[in-house]
Amino acid sequence: MPRLPLILAMLMTCPWISACAPRAQRAPGGFADRQQLEPALSGDGRLLAVIVDQNGRPTVQLRDRRGGGLIPLRHLNRHQPHSSPSLSWNGRYLAVITQRGSRRMALIEDRLTGRAHPIRLPGNRDPIRLSLAPDARRLALQVADQGRWRVELLDLSGTLEPERPGGERLSDPAGATP
Amino acid sequence: MNWIRAGCCCMAGLMLSACSPDGIRPLSDLNGRLASSGEARRDPSLAQEWLATLSSRSGRERIELINLRSGQPTPTPGLNRADAQPVSISLSGDGERLALVRQRDGETELMLYRRSLGLMQQLELNPRGVPRQVSLDGSGKLLAVQVSRGGRWEVDLIPLP
Repeated sequence: MPRLPLILAMLMTCPWISACAPRAQRAPGGFADRQQLEPALSGDGRLLAVIVDQNGRPTVQLRDRRGGGLIPLRHLNRHQPHSSPSLSWNGRYLAVITQRGSRRMALIEDRLTGRAHPIRLPGNRDPIRLSLAPDARRLALQVADQGRWRVELLDLSGTLEPERPGGERLSDPAGATP
Repeated sequence: MNWIRAGCCCMAGLMLSACSPDGIRPLSDLNGRLASSGEARRDPSLAQEWLATLSSRSGRERIELINLRSGQPTPTPGLNRADAQPVSISLSGDGERLALVRQRDGETELMLYRRSLGLMQQLELNPRGVPRQVSLDGSGKLLAVQVSRGGRWEVDLIPLP
């Protein structure tokens, strides 16, 4: 009898012990025409952002995984090279590192309102990588500071309307679904 | 030294806020805690209440999971190995799952870690390739991974149990 809980526990964790076993398959919807780097999924898994080479310039590209179609970006067809894309829960916000002149900077495109939110770091510090929280309340930036990498967190809640899982929004302008 | 570091952090915070007319502000308390740990950090991945980074001290990198409410690292048994070098990390929305690419014994491995179980699972690529960078969706049940195959970078989408 004392073995019963042990057996049950083993059965429950079995799929994970087979760690090894569930063979991950390549999902359909890959885009084989050109090289793709730095994938970023939206929280709901519907949208995929990647960096592709566009006329020699690394450019962020956003696709709907279900239809496979490209989603136009208002502010991100320039200021290349782009890197380190990151999406919120439903993909309303796309954050990416861009370049203006000789400076690297983070930019968040709000696909619902069409606004761009540039984020410049002072002190000649350029962002290297970023991560947007799923609800878009916070942004983490990797920067170089005095010869080593640091991560800094920014509070976006005073600027961006938070996103929630499942398409919930605090307000939902009609017909403006990203 | 700590007060010098703290002073630098405050100055950086003030400068940052001064440059954010948009209402975007540094999270000074959390940034101060991250800086005061004395560790270099890169490759951040944010979940709702968690931050994962690759942090290094004395040149050795490890994955650190920080609770954003307390600002403190949380134990992650089985996540880091002395013989493995993490390359890329990504958290699910609730911080329960963490996908990672790591190098060990000359091999590049794609892994999934479940925090509540302390369990690490190796994922296979089909067709075979060398993983480089990962992104989990919010549920942690869909993984996008940048893979090198035949000298080309591709992106695989992998549904997870």
